[in-house]
Amino acid sequence: MFIYDTLMPINMLSSQEKELIPENWYNVVPDLPEQLPPPIDNEAERSSIELLNRILPKEVLRQEFTFQRYMKIPDDIREIYEQIGRPTPLVRARGLEQFLDYSGKIYFKYEGATVTGSHKINTAIPQAIYAAKEGVQKVVTETGAGQWGTATSVAASFAGIKAKIFMVRISYQQKPLRKKIMELYGGTVSPSPSDETRFGRNLLKDNPDHPGSLGIGIGEAVEYALDHDLRYLVGSVFNSVLTHQSIIGLETEKQLEIAGEEPDVLIGCVGGGSNFGGFSFPLIKKFKEVEVIASTAAEVPKFSHGEYKYDYVDTARILPSVKMYSLGADFVPEKIYAGGLRYHGAAPSLSMLVKTGRVATRDEDENHVIQALKIFSKTQGIVAAPESGHALASAIDYVRKHKHEKKTVVVNVSGHGLLDLSIFRDDK
Amino acid sequence: MNRKTIFYFTSSYPTHEQLLKFISSVDGEVVKYVELGLPSMNPLYDGPSIRKTHSDALRNFHFSHLAEYGSILTRKGVRPYLLAYYNDFAQRGERMLDDLADAGFAGLLIPDLLIDHADVAQSIIASVQKKLEFIPFFNPATPDAIVSRISGMTRSWVYYGLQPSTGIEIPYDLAEVSSRIRELLPSREVNFGFGIRNLDQVREIMSLGSDGVAIGTMIIPMLTGHDLEAFLKFQHELGEVAVA
Ligand SMILES: Cc1ncc(COP(=O)(O)O)c(C=O)c1O
Repeated sequence: MFIYDTLMPINMLSSQEKELIPENWYNVVPDLPEQLPPPIDNEAERSSIELLNRILPKEVLRQEFTFQRYMKIPDDIREIYEQIGRPTPLVRARGLEQFLDYSGKIYFKYEGATVTGSHKINTAIPQAIYAAKEGVQKVVTETGAGQWGTATSVAASFAGIKAKIFMVRISYQQKPLRKKIMELYGGTVSPSPSDETRFGRNLLKDNPDHPGSLGIGIGEAVEYALDHDLRYLVGSVFNSVLTHQSIIGLETEKQLEIAGEEPDVLIGCVGGGSNFGGFSFPLIKKFKEVEVIASTAAEVPKFSHGEYKYDYVDTARILPSVKMYSLGADFVPEKIYAGGLRYHGAAPSLSMLVKTGRVATRDEDENHVIQALKIFSKTQGIVAAPESGHALASAIDYVRKHKHEKKTVVVNVSGHGLLDLSIFRDDK
Repeated sequence: MNRKTIFYFTSSYPTHEQLLKFISSVDGEVVKYVELGLPSMNPLYDGPSIRKTHSDALRNFHFSHLAEYGSILTRKGVRPYLLAYYNDFAQRGERMLDDLADAGFAGLLIPDLLIDHADVAQSIIASVQKKLEFIPFFNPATPDAIVSRISGMTRSWVYYGLQPSTGIEIPYDLAEVSSRIRELLPSREVNFGFGIRNLDQVREIMSLGSDGVAIGTMIIPMLTGHDLEAFLKFQHELGEVAVA
C-alpha cells in the first residue's frame, strides 16, 4: 500500500504568478530539421487551401501561413489566460516518485487546472476572440471526448458569440454530463453523424447507428460552417493550434528554471498532437539533448502502424491534405475509452519529428492506462484524463525501466478525468 | 534600365505557336528572367490555374520547344530557367542538364526538392551545378538552418515563394515574411513569387526588399485567351512599377 510520508508538496508553483505567462507564443516551424511540407489541394479544379478563407477565422489563417517564430500574445488574450487559471502548476510528483521508488525526479505540468479541465482552452480562446473580432456570430466545431467542445463553448461565451458542437455519437451517448456542461456554457450540441449536414445524412443512411469519429465530426462541422457562413474552430493538428499551445511548454521552461531543473525526458500524449507539441517544442528548442516520448493509444496506433504521407484531415475531405502519420481518413477506431486520441493522423510538425527520430513513440493499451490513472490518483490525488493516462503510463514505464538513473522526467498531464469516471468500470 | 520582373510560363501552353508569340514579345528592358515550367502530371505546389496549364500542355509539349524559347530569350538578354518537379526531372535524368545547357538555359529550379526529396537534395544540387545554376526555392516555412545550408551550397539567386501554392489568395503577413528572408540572406539576390495578384502588391513587395517579382497566374488568362495585346500592356505597366 502507498502512504505519503511527507505532506509537503514542494515546488508547487503558485498559479498567481502571472509573469510566468509568456509574452509570445512559439512556432516550431522555422526550427524544424527539414522543410515542413505545405498543405495541398484535394482536387484538380478547386483549391481546398483557398477555401480555408471561408472556414477559419482570418487571423488564424494569417498565423497559419506566416510561420513567425515568436508571435506576441495580444494583451486581451493574455488577460483571459490569467482568468482561466494560467499559469498552470508544474508539480514535483513526490507521491509518484515514492510509489515507484525512483532515484530521479518526476514533474508534471497540470493542464487539468484550467477552468474547463484541459489544455484545449489555450487555443479555443484566441480562436473565438479572433472570430468575434471579425464579426462572426457563431462558431462551429466537433468534439470527441468532449474536452474541445467544452473549451470552445466557454471561449465563445467569453467572446460573446454562440457555439455549435458536433459530438462524436458514441461519446454523446456515453457522456451525458459532457453535453450538459457544454450547454451550461452556452453551446448547442448535436450527435455526429447528424442529419444537419449532407455528409452526416449520407453516413446515417448506410448505418443509422454509426458511432462517429473525430474525422467525421470535423467534416460535418466544416460543411456546416461553409453552408451557414460561420467560422470553424480547429482543435488540433493545425500549426496555429500547436503555436497557441506552446504556452504550456514556455511556462514549463520558466518553472523548471525557477526550480533549478533541467529535464532529461519529456512525455506527453498524442491525439492530433496539440498538447504534445505545445508542451515539448519550446523545451526541445532549449534542451537539445532531451529525450522526448509521444504516447498514443494502442487502438489508434498512428505512428507504429500508420504511414507518413499526404492524407485528408477530415473524413469529408474538405480541408486541404497535409503530410502526416496517418491511419487513413476513413479509419474508424474501436469505441475506445480515450475519445480525444481517436484521431487518424497527427500534426505535420510532430509527424516530421517522429519521422526524423527526434521524438520516440509508444503505444499504450487500455489496461496499462487504467493502472497508471489509478496509481496517479492514489499518489497525487489527481484523476487525470484518460488521454493523459497514456502519458502517465509511458512515464511510469520509463521510470521503472530506468529506476536507478537519476533522471528528471517531465510529463504533461493534459487534462483531468472527473467527467470520464465511467472508464473505471467493473473494478478494472 | 530597371529589370525586376520574372515571368513564368508553362512550356507549350496554350500551344507552342501561341507561346512563341508571347515569348517573342517579352521586353528585355522589363524582364530579367523567364521561368519555363516543364509540364507535369502532378504539379503539387501549384494552384488550380497553373495546374490546368500543366494538364493542357502535356498534350502539346515537346522538349525541342524549350530550345526555341531559350534561343529567343537569350537573344534578348533575358535568362531562361527551367522549373521542373523532381519526378519529371529524375525521369529524364542528367542528360537533360546537357540539353538545357545547349538550349541556352541558365539554370534549373526544382520546387519540391527540399520538401519531398530532402534526402537527395545535396547530390542533385551538386550535379546540376556542374552544368547550370541551381536556384534554391524557399518559402516562409523553410527552417533557418536549411536556408543557410542550401544557400551556402549555391551561388545563384534565390526564389522565395510567399505562400504555400501559386495563384491562390490566403492571408499572411507580407512584411513579416519578407523581413525574415532578408535577415537570413541580407546580401543575396532574392526574388519573390507565388500568388502575386496585382500591381499594387508588386509595388509593396518591391518596397519590402525583394530584388524582383515572379508573375505566373496573372498572365494565364492572357495566354488562354491568346490576348497578346493585354500581355504587352501589362508588361508595360510592370515596367513602370519597377522604375518607380
Ligand atoms: C485531455 C486531452 N488530452 C489530449 C487530447 C488529445 O489531443 P491533442 O493531441 O491535440 O492534444 C485531448 C483531445 O480531445 C484531450 O481532451
